[in-house]
Amino acid sequence: MTQIHVHCLGVFREIGDGFDVDVPSNSVDAIRGAVAEHLLRLGRADLNDVLKRSVFAEGDELLKDHMVVESSAVSVLPPVAGG
Amino acid sequence: MKLFIENRGTHWHCGLLDGPCQTQDLDALVSDPAHGAIAQFFGVVRNHNEGLEASAVDYDVHPELALKAMSELCADICSEYPVRLLLIHSRGLVRVGEASVVIAASSAHRKDALSAVSDTIDQLKVRVPIWKKEIGPDDEQRWLDGYSLRKD
Repeated sequence: MTQIHVHCLGVFREIGDGFDVDVPSNSVDAIRGAVAEHLLRLGRADLNDVLKRSVFAEGDELLKDHMVVESSAVSVLPPVAGG
Repeated sequence: MKLFIENRGTHWHCGLLDGPCQTQDLDALVSDPAHGAIAQFFGVVRNHNEGLEASAVDYDVHPELALKAMSELCADICSEYPVRLLLIHSRGLVRVGEASVVIAASSAHRKDALSAVSDTIDQLKVRVPIWKKEIGPDDEQRWLDGYSLRKD
């Protein structure tokens, strides 16, 4: 298992600025699954619909779910609402 | 304006600042002796949204990603229209009546400047990693939904 730090943005800040998850692989898909489980453990399953519409980023790169994370930290970006 | 992160291209300048945007003297930042038109847009926090009262909006930003997306957006607009373009967005608390985003564009003729400003605000809303937390008169808070950046 690998530990990944997930930096929270937007509505995910309701659960804190960030948290760690243990993942079996460094794929974005695995991280998404681990974040969903983390939300369930926190009693915030209501955020799972937002999670499904969220994208992960590593540094300033947006990631697709088949991609692999190279560092130990990602950001989770819910739907954007600037302006 | 004191920007905490910014970027420039040949014909554009974009950045982020903490707190509200100033709305004065933006024309000077895009003026060009060959340009006969300057268009400006100010996005201002209003006192209501979806039937609820609001007193402020707290903007959350991923600075590096937002600057990258704003830079790409400005470059795209400047490749479509012959304009000089300025795009500034706020981070943090912006109260009712204050501006959270300012856009200015100059061009030789008015249509390009007007179209560039309109397209820039439309695209900013769906491309740039910025989030709004609306704050009500009794300090109640709610995050606003928006546009997914997910492509897969």
